[in-house]
Amino acid sequence: MHPGSRSHTGALLLAVAAALIFSGCGTEREPSRGTRRSAAEPPRIALIMKSLANEFFVTMAEGAKAHQAANSGTYTLLVNGIRNESDLAQQVALVEQMMAQGVDAIVIAPADSRALVPVLGKALRRKIVVVNIDNKLDESTLQQVGIDIPFVGPDNRAGARTVGATLAKRLQRTDKVAILEGIPTAFNAHQRRLGFEDSMRGAGIDVVAVQSAHWEQDEANTVAAAILREHPDLKAILASNDNMALGAATAVRQADKTGQVYVVGFDNIPAVHQLLQDGRVLATADQHADRLAVYGIEYALKILRGETQPHDTQTPVDLITTAPH
Amino acid sequence: MAIANVAEPLPLLRVRGVEKRYAAPVLTDLDLDLRGGEIHALMGANGAGKSTLSRIVCGLTTPDRGTMSLGGEPYQPHSRRAAQRAGVQLVMQELNLVPTLSVAENLFLTDLPGRFGFVAVAALLARAVEALTALGLNELDPRTAVSRLGIGQQQLVALAAALAHPCRVLVLDEPTAALTSAEIELAFAHLRRLRAAGTAILYISHRLEEIRQISDRITVLRDGRVVATQPAADAALDEIVRLMVGERAVGALDQRDHSPGDVALRVEGLTRGKRLRNVSFEVRKGEILGLAGLVGSGRTETVRAIFGADRTHAGRVSRGPGPPLTIAGPKDAVRAGIGMIPEDRKEQALLLSQPVRMNMTLAVLPAFVRRRWWIDDARELRAANELRLRLDVRSHSLNQRAGELSGGNQQKVVIARWLLRECDVLLFDEPTRGIDVAAKIAVYRVLNELAARGKALVVVSSELAELMALCDRIAVMSAGRLVTTFARGEWSEDAIVAAAFSEYAGRGDTARRGRVDSC
Amino acid sequence: MLKPPTAADRGDSPAVRSLPRIAEYLGLMAVLVLLVALFSALSAHFFSRITFTTLANQIPSLTVIAVGMTLVLIAAGIDLSVGSVMALGSAVLALARVEWQLPLSVAVALCLAVGLLAGLANGFITVRWAVPSFIVTLGMLEVARGGAYLVSESRSVFVGAAMGRVGMPLPVIGLSPAFILAVLVVFAGEVLLSKTILGRYIVAIGTNREAVRLSGIDPRPVVVSVFALSGLLAGLGGVFHVAYLESADPNSGIGLELSAIAAVVIGGTSLMGGRGSVVSSFLGVLIIAVLQTGLAQIGATEPAKRIVTGAVIVAAVILDAYRHTLGNRREHD
Repeated sequence: MHPGSRSHTGALLLAVAAALIFSGCGTEREPSRGTRRSAAEPPRIALIMKSLANEFFVTMAEGAKAHQAANSGTYTLLVNGIRNESDLAQQVALVEQMMAQGVDAIVIAPADSRALVPVLGKALRRKIVVVNIDNKLDESTLQQVGIDIPFVGPDNRAGARTVGATLAKRLQRTDKVAILEGIPTAFNAHQRRLGFEDSMRGAGIDVVAVQSAHWEQDEANTVAAAILREHPDLKAILASNDNMALGAATAVRQADKTGQVYVVGFDNIPAVHQLLQDGRVLATADQHADRLAVYGIEYALKILRGETQPHDTQTPVDLITTAPH
Repeated sequence: MAIANVAEPLPLLRVRGVEKRYAAPVLTDLDLDLRGGEIHALMGANGAGKSTLSRIVCGLTTPDRGTMSLGGEPYQPHSRRAAQRAGVQLVMQELNLVPTLSVAENLFLTDLPGRFGFVAVAALLARAVEALTALGLNELDPRTAVSRLGIGQQQLVALAAALAHPCRVLVLDEPTAALTSAEIELAFAHLRRLRAAGTAILYISHRLEEIRQISDRITVLRDGRVVATQPAADAALDEIVRLMVGERAVGALDQRDHSPGDVALRVEGLTRGKRLRNVSFEVRKGEILGLAGLVGSGRTETVRAIFGADRTHAGRVSRGPGPPLTIAGPKDAVRAGIGMIPEDRKEQALLLSQPVRMNMTLAVLPAFVRRRWWIDDARELRAANELRLRLDVRSHSLNQRAGELSGGNQQKVVIARWLLRECDVLLFDEPTRGIDVAAKIAVYRVLNELAARGKALVVVSSELAELMALCDRIAVMSAGRLVTTFARGEWSEDAIVAAAFSEYAGRGDTARRGRVDSC
Repeated sequence: MLKPPTAADRGDSPAVRSLPRIAEYLGLMAVLVLLVALFSALSAHFFSRITFTTLANQIPSLTVIAVGMTLVLIAAGIDLSVGSVMALGSAVLALARVEWQLPLSVAVALCLAVGLLAGLANGFITVRWAVPSFIVTLGMLEVARGGAYLVSESRSVFVGAAMGRVGMPLPVIGLSPAFILAVLVVFAGEVLLSKTILGRYIVAIGTNREAVRLSGIDPRPVVVSVFALSGLLAGLGGVFHVAYLESADPNSGIGLELSAIAAVVIGGTSLMGGRGSVVSSFLGVLIIAVLQTGLAQIGATEPAKRIVTGAVIVAAVILDAYRHTLGNRREHD
């Protein structure tokens, strides 16, 4: 009479399983426009992103769409993202789908710096132009597969170094600071952490804690609050992205240490503008998210036109210390 | 050993001085001899120690003290597996089947024929067909999932499963509780064959009539001790009941004045596919109407349809001369003053893991409310306690979990739920299934008392003797139709049984067809 | 075994019954004390007032969501959508304040309404088509998350002072109004469960839904209310979340349903329904929060954090099960 009314045995286990299974669905998919284009048609470029639920990549994608709208005669654009930043399999599948659709170029922000290399090698063999943005593919893996893919993007480590240097000016030698890291396995997280550490070491400042808050505001708040208690004389928190900087700034305020503990971030998302204005966040770095994909696309177009040879290109990272108006 | 008395054969299973205690002693210094080639009935009220004794014999429980021997050899089974290897098989009251597996898999669950870890399906099916045929179940497809069988057929499958293994001693704990009389006859025929082959059968049942029919000797247990062992042929019914209950508790059941009042419930043209075909009847105030028939004949379906538990396709239910009721669900039925005690009290009636008190007051909770939302604990407790005393529910306290009570006491708790509600029409589906004699008598008393207070009762039962003792009229169902109604004094067991089979006639083997319909 | 009832048996006065109920919390309290002692030993700064007030101010969202989850699990359902619904609610709240400039009370009402609606939808679909709530709320988990991305355009929204001081510590006591409200919700939940008809029906339905139906009680409205309540509390969790973090992040609350389920199960609520306590769930929340804070404070490495958290969850549940069997044995004597 009531099927399923008592069927929740082991639901926790199932929930975990389901969380794993369902994290792989829901790609945004542009309608296919046929697999062969005539010679007159403009080139088709596929932009393959990481998670489109992430503010940073949304900004990137929107920048790319705006650019395409302004240059609609020059190229057409297919934008795809994966659901979860760590879902490699889905991104590999996306690359294969794009190959099957016969695109002319793939601009990709790889979810992993090694796992994507083989499938991108396949794309190159099909004479598809591949440009790497955001997360740099691993050199040695590229060599092993025997391919060369140009990287067009910012130097996260240098950016973090600049932000750290700004902070260091306000601090003295032997002051204590803490670093909030992103997801430890992510390339960017690693680069930013190294950049922060470079600048602190250079100024003789003592990094007393490095903990991951997985890019998340909530977790950053918990972790920052704990570090503040453990090190009552802490002078600054370096957060590897602005979301975590927001969480850390709240923790500082709740510990009643506003003005005593500096917070710096990375990415310059709109949500930190107010905090930059108030001085609750000292500095952040803007790597021009809205331009990042565009740089890659423009580079791909150049290669398609035969104007340039593949080599790595750096894009600007700007230091932001007060909110832009 | 002594050869002086040749007429007394050596016991196959000998139990000496067995004791077992949990919190309180359950078995005390118990001796029992089971001979090869006899059916030995074990009787006693619930809690007398029957189940504990059978568990000890089958290796499910180890005794604190005492010895057993099997065929002259010491016998100390430490697990059910060990007992089975020694040739001691058990069919329990609580079905030990895996509902999602097929009949065949259940039959040979402990030793599935296999090769390289895979089940050898063909061999399994062949062995299953053989085992089922031995019990007259040759129409049952061994590939059917057990969950799709009626409860009676499940019981027979459980029996077949026990008999599919080598068997020197067979322990049967209430094997017929869910069987129809035709099914019981089949089972008995098989037990008699086993007896002739020299198997010792320990038979636990609450059905006195049945025991006199099948068994050779009767042992009565009370409070963990043997109070009597005697040949079944000499046993007088009320004598056994007296031994079990320990008092002259029985008395004449039927002291009610049979003069029904106005019509309390009118059922017209109730139809639900092939299960219910145009069933119509009336019940009057102060009247008990029995519903007899085979399992699957539509008795349960009838009361469930009246109560709104299942959807019906056609038919009208009204309270006496009133307009037809709209019953979309049990809630509407209860609002119209109709209550039901369902067939399967554990699955359909009780909250087993919850306190007795909560079980008793479930249907009437809004009556114990202060300021609209709050449960008035004191009033609820008082009402529940009154019910406990009135129905003599044996529990440690009102906070004891319902699942820890014996079957009889559980049934009293379910009945208590509807007593508080004061329904005018009460539908009882197998109210005494699987409960001991003392509890049965208590249930009969409650039924009579309710009728005497002017309630209209419909009682479904597979025990004809019970219906004939209780009812004013007995309606007989067959293949979804209500075929005939007997008034008190007009009925006989033969006539009722004949009516129960009437609609199946002309369709081959009647008895089997009846069972097939039940699944 | 068969003993006539004695006067002593009938002494089920409420006072007598409240004794074992307090004992019920002792096992979890012990785990909590043990964790606090452990972290105090490992960090010189852990055992301080500021640790506990900060911790208290961090947990209101998880607390109220765990209250809702407790009720749902007791009714033999499950609500996987709470994290997403919270994120959707917070996004709506933040936008209502910052973009649409609505008054705080209206914005909060909107957030609660979003939660309530999601919960009602969960309950209604579960009941109407007899679909397992696992699937329905899994669907809602996706839908609400998508909704959160949609309304926020996948961007974090900074709210700042626009939320007032709901999430900020009050002077002197150091606790936030949100925490105090969350504790009140815990007690309201416990009272609902143990003292009201609705609570009794929830327990009964979780134990045996068919028996409840055949007792003439329609279980469907009860089930719908339970899911509606869980949704509403997820909305309230959203309010607390925004108030505390001064911003709304559409990616917040991912995996929160598992934290809530873990807290509730640590508190001894059965995943099979029919048994549980809201206060125990609160203790479960505290255990998880102390663990998270303590591990961060002693600077545990990422792998250590995960392994220890998992181990403590399982150990707490085992301890609880062990205590239950002990209690049952005593009951039989």
